Amino acid sequence: MTTRRKFVVTRFDPDKDEVPKTQEYEIECQDDWKVLDAINFIKDEVDSTISHRWSCRMAVCGSCGMMVDGEPKLTCKTALDSYGDTVEIEPLANFPVVKDLVVELEGFMGKFQQVKPWIMNAKEEAEKKAASTMKEGTYRQSTEELMAFKQFSMCINCMLCYSACPVVSNEPDFLGPAAIALGHRYNMDTRDGGQDERNQIFREEGTVFSCSYANECSEVCPKGVDPAAAVNQAKFNAVIDWATGLVVSRPAAKGDE
Amino acid sequence: MSQEHRLLKFEPLIWFLFGQGIMIGSILMTSWLLVVGILHPLGIVHPDALGYERALMLASNPIGSVIVFSILALPLWKGAHHVRHFFIDRGYAEYDGTIGALSYLVATLGSLLALVAVIRL
Amino acid sequence: MPASKAAHPEAMAPPTPGPTRTAPPMQPGSWKTSPRMKQYARFGLTGWIYLFASFAGIAIVWSLGSGPEAYARMQAILAHPLAVGFHLLALASVVFVLIRFFGLFPKAQPARIGPAKPPPQPVLKVMLYGVWIGIALVMAIVKAGGLF
Repeated sequence: MTTRRKFVVTRFDPDKDEVPKTQEYEIECQDDWKVLDAINFIKDEVDSTISHRWSCRMAVCGSCGMMVDGEPKLTCKTALDSYGDTVEIEPLANFPVVKDLVVELEGFMGKFQQVKPWIMNAKEEAEKKAASTMKEGTYRQSTEELMAFKQFSMCINCMLCYSACPVVSNEPDFLGPAAIALGHRYNMDTRDGGQDERNQIFREEGTVFSCSYANECSEVCPKGVDPAAAVNQAKFNAVIDWATGLVVSRPAAKGDE
Repeated sequence: MSQEHRLLKFEPLIWFLFGQGIMIGSILMTSWLLVVGILHPLGIVHPDALGYERALMLASNPIGSVIVFSILALPLWKGAHHVRHFFIDRGYAEYDGTIGALSYLVATLGSLLALVAVIRL
Repeated sequence: MPASKAAHPEAMAPPTPGPTRTAPPMQPGSWKTSPRMKQYARFGLTGWIYLFASFAGIAIVWSLGSGPEAYARMQAILAHPLAVGFHLLALASVVFVLIRFFGLFPKAQPARIGPAKPPPQPVLKVMLYGVWIGIALVMAIVKAGGLF
């Protein structure tokens, strides 16, 4: 069974277009198609000049994020039958657009790097733990300790949360939901010893307190990461870290004069 | 240091006050707004309940004055924070240093006024 | 869908410009009509109401400290329909803010801070509402003439 639908797709060629424009495509869609199936069909059979990112087709790679009728969606996961006869497809909101439905990713990558998303001072932390709680073995972690951060490690970097966030839209310095959630994931990992450094980044140049708890990031997240929870937990931790820092002197973080 | 970075140093404190302004301030404000602002002026609550002598007694004793001060001052911080974000959301992020400083100045001055208002009872 | 508004021109900008010209970032078109974003906007607007309510409260307490005549004049102002209307709006705002806040507060507690752990989220929610209603009730009774 098929349904005829019209797709209003944003097109932008930096060599030819001053500003993005829209182009309409009317195609017969199978009833079990996802939005990505329709876009792939348009590229394969109708207009090969259209550019878009996609890969796994099963909501684990995070490549195919686009705006569908104004909302950020993973197009491989979004069924067409929940939409009407006309569907608007745009590149992810709040990102500069490279071409058509492809957005510039380097800004996102830069924010990720800022939160130092790796286990820091692992050896020192392991030695500390071995001395106090664990008889032997490094990197031992209980299930309860894992559950404190596991949810935040499930992010597939699809960036839908950045498109949904009103603060990302208005404040370029804001780290954004996924980057803060990732930093918080490491802060809550008992194997990590980098909380002081990350909390300072969160408090200062990362402006974690800019988050206004709109909760839109968690509403659009396709993997149930709940970045809003991570960001607001991170604020709490950053305040405690700041208050503790007023009372207890710390060695200067790397990068301080 | 830029204005923005000076403000950033205070962000944890501002956010904490804002959070308390929302929670404690709102919880305490509920009965204030209900009785002082609605039920008493409408005569649903007896006029003497918040007549001059009783109101003065309630607001000027040690516990009452702390509660009244909290009702007056804490919501200012929630208000200032949201007013600042109101302008950021409308595209004035460039002026956040100034707008933010002004908003929190209003909250600070209001808190001082509230303190004086309570002390002079 | 309404046309979307431009986002900040530097939103999600790369640290160094890429090899080709990019189109500027745009906000989602659904923001103007989305019910969730309208709730969020209302939540932000309550900031103005809180500011005015606080200053009104400061004026009331100031009048109390200025003697019985000043206080009586303030009572007359408070009885005006506009004043009652404003306080009704402020009360509705407070209820709206707390319901939204209590919905979002439990998941914002870190799993642990040092050795301390928060109560489970449903328990925390019940505690929050319990504290709110309990304190508001006791304070309302006191203000309305009871207890003292």
